[in-house]
Amino acid sequence: MSLARYAAVLDSVRGIGWPALRRVRSAVPGPHLSRVRGTTAEVVEYRPYRQGDDPTKIDWKLVGRTDRVYIRVSQERTILPTMLVLDASASMAFPPVAHAKWDTARQLAVALAAVARHRGDPVGLALAGEQGSRVIAPRTRKTVLEEMMRLLESAPEGELALAPTAAAAMRLGARVVLITDFLGDADALLAAGKTFAASGGELYAIHVVDRGELDPDPKKLLLSDPEHPEIRRPMSPPARTAYIRRFGDWRAALARDWRAIGAMYSTVVPGEEQWRQVIRRITAPQGTARRTG
Amino acid sequence: MTFLAPIFFYVALGVAAGAVALHFIVTRQPTSSPLPTVRFVPTSAVRVTTVAPIPEDRWLLLVRVLAVLLIGAALARPVLVPHRRPVARVVLADVSRAVGRIETVRDSARMLLGSGDVLVVFDSSARVVRSGASDSAARLARKERSGRLSPALIAALRAASTIRDDADSIELAIVSPIRANEIDGATQAIRALWPGRIRVVRVAAAGDSLTPPAGVAVHADAEDPIALASSIAGLPPSDSVVRVIRGEATPADSAWAMAGRRTLVRWPVTAAPPGWIARMPTDTAGAVIAGEVALVFPLERRWRVDSTARATRVAARWVDGAPAAVERAAGSGCIRDVAISVPTRGDLVLRPTFGQIVRALVSPCASVAGGLAADSASVARLAGAGPLAAHDLVRPPANVGAPLVPWLLAAAIVLVLLELFVRRGSAPMWTDAGEDDASPPRPGAVA
Repeated sequence: MSLARYAAVLDSVRGIGWPALRRVRSAVPGPHLSRVRGTTAEVVEYRPYRQGDDPTKIDWKLVGRTDRVYIRVSQERTILPTMLVLDASASMAFPPVAHAKWDTARQLAVALAAVARHRGDPVGLALAGEQGSRVIAPRTRKTVLEEMMRLLESAPEGELALAPTAAAAMRLGARVVLITDFLGDADALLAAGKTFAASGGELYAIHVVDRGELDPDPKKLLLSDPEHPEIRRPMSPPARTAYIRRFGDWRAALARDWRAIGAMYSTVVPGEEQWRQVIRRITAPQGTARRTG
Repeated sequence: MTFLAPIFFYVALGVAAGAVALHFIVTRQPTSSPLPTVRFVPTSAVRVTTVAPIPEDRWLLLVRVLAVLLIGAALARPVLVPHRRPVARVVLADVSRAVGRIETVRDSARMLLGSGDVLVVFDSSARVVRSGASDSAARLARKERSGRLSPALIAALRAASTIRDDADSIELAIVSPIRANEIDGATQAIRALWPGRIRVVRVAAAGDSLTPPAGVAVHADAEDPIALASSIAGLPPSDSVVRVIRGEATPADSAWAMAGRRTLVRWPVTAAPPGWIARMPTDTAGAVIAGEVALVFPLERRWRVDSTARATRVAARWVDGAPAAVERAAGSGCIRDVAISVPTRGDLVLRPTFGQIVRALVSPCASVAGGLAADSASVARLAGAGPLAAHDLVRPPANVGAPLVPWLLAAAIVLVLLELFVRRGSAPMWTDAGEDDASPPRPGAVA
């Protein structure tokens, strides 16, 4: 059942890669360039031997030809543990019946997990929901996607703080993808992300925004917050104009803040783009400082 | 109960209907829809007007409608009236001296009067009897005053206004001998104000009840032309009613006239009648007129009425309008002074017109005999034709007390105050985000 739901998106992301944004500090062999230079067969350069170098890396044939001692320097490749953090709060259950935001978020998570795992990266999932944080540690085994799909069967509800779950995920992965609407503890989440990014982690902030949030239905005259039902606001035509303006300003500020800390910020509107286009936009962002892999 | 100014009540009905309609148009807090980003919607009050299938706040609606209707009813000046009768009557009973037998007037009036009817007793003035009209009619007494229909009709019109709401039709009945002198120039104009026919019950006049033959006693010589003319006219020589003195009247004659409904005619042969002075110079008039009889003959005019004398009524005039005979009331009777010199020679006495004018001048005074009967045309105009006056055609009274007005207004004020409490009893209108959202719909937002 779950697989059938994700079949289309999994098909659409076939063949898409997700390179690391920068060299990965890891020794486990994988698809991403590592900061560690080793002695693998892929020689990058020769360098004069210095005291302390491993003598086994000396290229003796080159010593014989040049009478100088060089050692072979090769490029190591490693894995990038990827953690997907999903916001399962009540605000993601929008629109009320279709739950397009939540459906988009979990399909996005499965698709990104599939892309990462396809390259050999271990992937995990951290779900922040009403029952607390549920975490699947990064793994590379085949069943990890099915585990994630089962975990994502739960419905979003309640009010929760995403920052603790995100912080836990940041401890497990070198690449963390936040899939949320940022309507919860956005400031705490930004602070955690700032710390993670400063420590060298790759951070992706995917903002899921529904079309109904961008352009509310003018027939709906009174609106309430699903996480705080006591908050009600009338949506008169002037209020609607002000809402659109204020919401746009907030999204712009949000993107600016996340990009300022080095995160890759993307906005996903359910149904606006093809899945493949969305995944490619996220995994191969334009303007990245450095392309590797 | 009826309304004197129903337009206000109709307006109140319209306002009440509007209030009911407004209660169908309610301003309510709409059903909220979830929106995760609602925090970006500016805080403001909300009022949404919709049409409800059933009126909202029915108690409030009831209070408002009752208040409006009470105010309208109060301004419409309601009056409590009994059940309407088919016909209500205003009976004008003549008690003037024109009436021959007052018992006839009593019986006729009592036969016409019913419960709630109005009796207007009139002679020269009118008096309205509203309560106990039938009993009052039984006690009617004849007055020695002349009758006047005009003030009686005016009083009857006013009295009819007060009972217009008691019956479907109003009937005006006049119980009177209807003498000519009771109808003046304004009578027919006043009668035209009555929008229906008038029942005229003619009773015997005073003159009509005299015992025939009335008779005339002429105290004169046998050769006196007046005596001869009376004899020729066939007037019986009796002084039961009229006495003609051709000489100088004595106090006994005056006492005789004053003692009863008699007429003393002082018609001296050569001297001036009392109250007359000699005319200087003496002239001749070509004719003399008494009533509707004219004698065309050159008659010598020797006297004229003393202007300082007591008020009198002219009984005959010369052809130029100067009085030739006057009469005045004296007690119950009447004294008539005639200043017409009758020549003793010639055939004047033999002329029929002379006999007619003598007959007119020796007839009982109008005040004693009740005057001449009104002609049939006048009586017919007075009676009119057509149906009875419908009650709504009778002009309403100018000012009718409406004792319910203060009570209705007080009740309306109480309800208006109550409306404040009822409205306050409802939960306050939701005006701000985060406030109590359980406030019920609030109708009548047009307030």
